[in-house]
Amino acid sequence: MNLGFGAAATLTGLLIGVLCSLPPLGLALKHRLYRPALLTLAACALGGFSAGLWGGALMLVLMSGVVISYAYVDREDPFTSRASIDEVDFSESNWEFSLRKMAALGRTVRASAHALVRNKAGFLGFLGLVFFFVMIVFGPLFIEYDGQPHYYDRLKPGAKTLFQGPSKEFPLGLDWQGRDVLSHIVYGGKNLIRTSVEAGLMTTVIAVVLGSMAGLLGGVVDQALSALSNFILTIPTFPLLVVLAGIITFDNHTYLALLFAALYWPTLMRAVRAQVFSLRERDYVQAAVALDLGLPHLIFREVLPNMISYIVVNMIFTIRGAMYALVGLVFLGMVPVQEPDWAVMIYIGRTRQVIFNARAASMLLSPIIAIALFQLSLVLFTRSLEEIFNPRLRRGL
Amino acid sequence: MWRSYAFRVTVQGLLTLWAVTTFTFVMIRKMPGNPVEVVIDQLIDRQQLSYEEARQQAAGLFDFDPGQPLIEQYADYMNKLLHGDMGKSISSAGTPVANQIKRYLPWTLFSVGSGLIISFTLGVLLGMAMAYWRGSVFDNVLTAAASLMYGIPDFIIALLLLLVAGVQLKLFSMEDVLGGVGQDVHAGLNLPYLKSVVQHAALPVITYVWGTVGGWILTMKSSTISTLGEDYIMVAKARGLPERRILTAYVGRNAMLPLVTRLAISIGFVVGGSVIIEFIFQYPGLGRQLAMAIGTRDYTTMQGIFLVIASAVVFSNILADLLFGMLDPRVRVGGEE
Repeated sequence: MNLGFGAAATLTGLLIGVLCSLPPLGLALKHRLYRPALLTLAACALGGFSAGLWGGALMLVLMSGVVISYAYVDREDPFTSRASIDEVDFSESNWEFSLRKMAALGRTVRASAHALVRNKAGFLGFLGLVFFFVMIVFGPLFIEYDGQPHYYDRLKPGAKTLFQGPSKEFPLGLDWQGRDVLSHIVYGGKNLIRTSVEAGLMTTVIAVVLGSMAGLLGGVVDQALSALSNFILTIPTFPLLVVLAGIITFDNHTYLALLFAALYWPTLMRAVRAQVFSLRERDYVQAAVALDLGLPHLIFREVLPNMISYIVVNMIFTIRGAMYALVGLVFLGMVPVQEPDWAVMIYIGRTRQVIFNARAASMLLSPIIAIALFQLSLVLFTRSLEEIFNPRLRRGL
Repeated sequence: MWRSYAFRVTVQGLLTLWAVTTFTFVMIRKMPGNPVEVVIDQLIDRQQLSYEEARQQAAGLFDFDPGQPLIEQYADYMNKLLHGDMGKSISSAGTPVANQIKRYLPWTLFSVGSGLIISFTLGVLLGMAMAYWRGSVFDNVLTAAASLMYGIPDFIIALLLLLVAGVQLKLFSMEDVLGGVGQDVHAGLNLPYLKSVVQHAALPVITYVWGTVGGWILTMKSSTISTLGEDYIMVAKARGLPERRILTAYVGRNAMLPLVTRLAISIGFVVGGSVIIEFIFQYPGLGRQLAMAIGTRDYTTMQGIFLVIASAVVFSNILADLLFGMLDPRVRVGGEE
C-alpha cells in the first residue's frame, strides 16, 4: 500500500484525482461557490496525481467537507440557529447528522488552513516541506535516475571530467563516478525522509501510550516505566544506536526506524506522563469524571486536545532527531550503504576524500544543503502546527 | 532526612550503573564479528595471508579468547571492575583502558566544555537582552537567527565549515585544524603548544556553540519574559529600585533558574562529546575513540567509555536535583511538605 508519501506520480493517479474531484466540484458549482470549486479541483487532482487512489480519496473527503461547510452551515444545522431554544427541533435524520459532521470537518480544514497561512515563519516551513514533497513525487517524471558509473571512456554526453562543477547541462555537477548529482538529490531523499518520519511516528506512539499509561494507572506501572526510561536516558543513546545497528541486519529500513523509536521514546514519555498527571487534577477533567462521560470521552475530548499541540510539535523534533541519527549512522559507515540516498552521498564524500577536493564540492554540498533545508523547514513548520493544534491560539473564521 | 536522601540517590546511581554495564556488556558482544576476526580480516586484506595463517597470527596478538562462555567473561569483568580495574584494551594489546580514557578524556572535556560554557554565557546574555527589548529589530533579527541556527544539525555545520571556509575560501589549511594538536610542537606548558591546542579546538568549539546557542537563547528569552511579568518585579519597580539592580538581582537570577538545571544535565553529556563532530575534525576525544572501538570491536575499551559516560550522566542528574533544590526554596528537597 503506497499511502501518500513515497509513491511516484502517475498519469492514472491524475485521472483518479480528477474523478475524485467531481462530486464536491458539482456540489460547489450548484451552489455557485466558484473559488472553493477551483480549489477543490486543484487539491483533488494534486492529491490523486501524487498519491494515487488514497490521496484522491482523502482529498475527496476533505474537500467535500469544505464545500459542505460553505453551502450548508447556518441553514440546515439546528445547533447554530438563532431562534429561541423552544422552537428549535433537535431531532435530526442520519443524513442531516452526516452533513453536519462533514461541515464541521470542513470548518476544521478551513481553520487549519487559515492558521497555517497566518504564521509567516511556519508557512515558510510548510512551503519548504511542500517543495521537497513535490521534488520527490514529481521529480522522477522529469529526471531520470543516473545510477551507472560513467568512467573516462564513456562519460555522459557533454561532460568533460569526473567531479565536474555545476554547468548548464548538469545544474549540480557530476559526482565521483561522473553521474548527475541532481538526479541523486531528486531520488535520494525518499528513503531517508520516509524512515525519519516512520521513526518519529513510532517514537511518538510509544511515548504517548506508555506516558498516558504511567500517568493514568500510576503505582507499580508508573514506577517500572519511569525506572526503564531513566535507564535508557543514562546510556549514551547515539553510541548505543551504533552498537545495536551492528547487531541487527537491515534489509528493511523500518527496522532502523523501530530501533530508533526503542531508544528515543523516554524524553517525550516523561513529558506526557507529567502532563497527564497535572491534567488529571484539573477541574474540567474532574467534572467530566463526575458526569461519568466514559474513558474514551475523557481521553479524546478532555485530555488529548490539551496535549496534542505539544505532542505534534515534539513529533516533528523527533523526526528531525531521527534524520540526524540516520545520517550520522551512515556517515560513520555503521549501516549498509544503499544508493540513492543523501546520507550515502555524504558518506562517499568522506570516504573518497572528496571533502578536500575543491572541484568536487558540489557532490558533497548538495546533499548537505538539502538536509539542512529540510530540517530547517521542519523546525519552522512547528510554528504553524502550534497555531493549528493549540486551541488557545486558534481563532474563529 | 538529608542522609537518607543521599543514601537513596547513591544506591539508585550505583544500580543504574550496574544495569548499564550489564546491558552494554551483553549488547556489544552480540555485535557480529569480534576483535580477533576484525584483525584476521585486516591481515588477509593487507598481507594476502590465508585464513589459517591469519588466524594464528591474530591469536598471538591478543590475550582474549572469544570462545570463552559469556557468563565467565562477565564474571571476570565484573570482578575486575569491582577492584577498580577496567581491564586492558583488546585491539591495542597491553594498554589499560583507564590509561586510554585518561589520554582522550581531557580533549573532549576541553573542547565540548568550552563550547558549552561559551554557548551558555552567550545564550543567557543575548536571551535576556532580547527579552528586555522585545519587539525591537535586535530581538527580531536574533530570534530568526537563533531559529535558523537551531534548525541546522551540527555535523552539517562542521562539514560546511571545512568545505566552504577551508577548501573553497582557503581561510585555513587542513593540517592546522584537523586533529588535536600540530605535529611539530612539544607537549607541555609552552606557548606554541597551547596556541596549537586552541587553534585545533577552534572549529569543534565553533560547531558546538553554533549547534547549541540557539536553544539557550530561545529558552532564556522565554524564561526572562515570564519572569518580567511576575508581581515582585512590579513591586521592585514601584519601590523605585534602579533599573540595573532590578535586572541583575531580580530578573536575571530568577530567569536563570530553569537554565541552571539544564546546564547541570548538559554537563553529563560533555563527557560523551559528540561522536560525529570529533570524527569529522579527527579530534582525539573520547567520542571518536568510542566510534573507533566500535569499529574494531574493542570490547573492553567500549565498555570503559560507556561506563565513564554513564557515570557522568548519573552524577550530573544528581547535581541538577541538588542545585535546583538549593537555588529554588520552593522545591527544596526533603522540605516540610
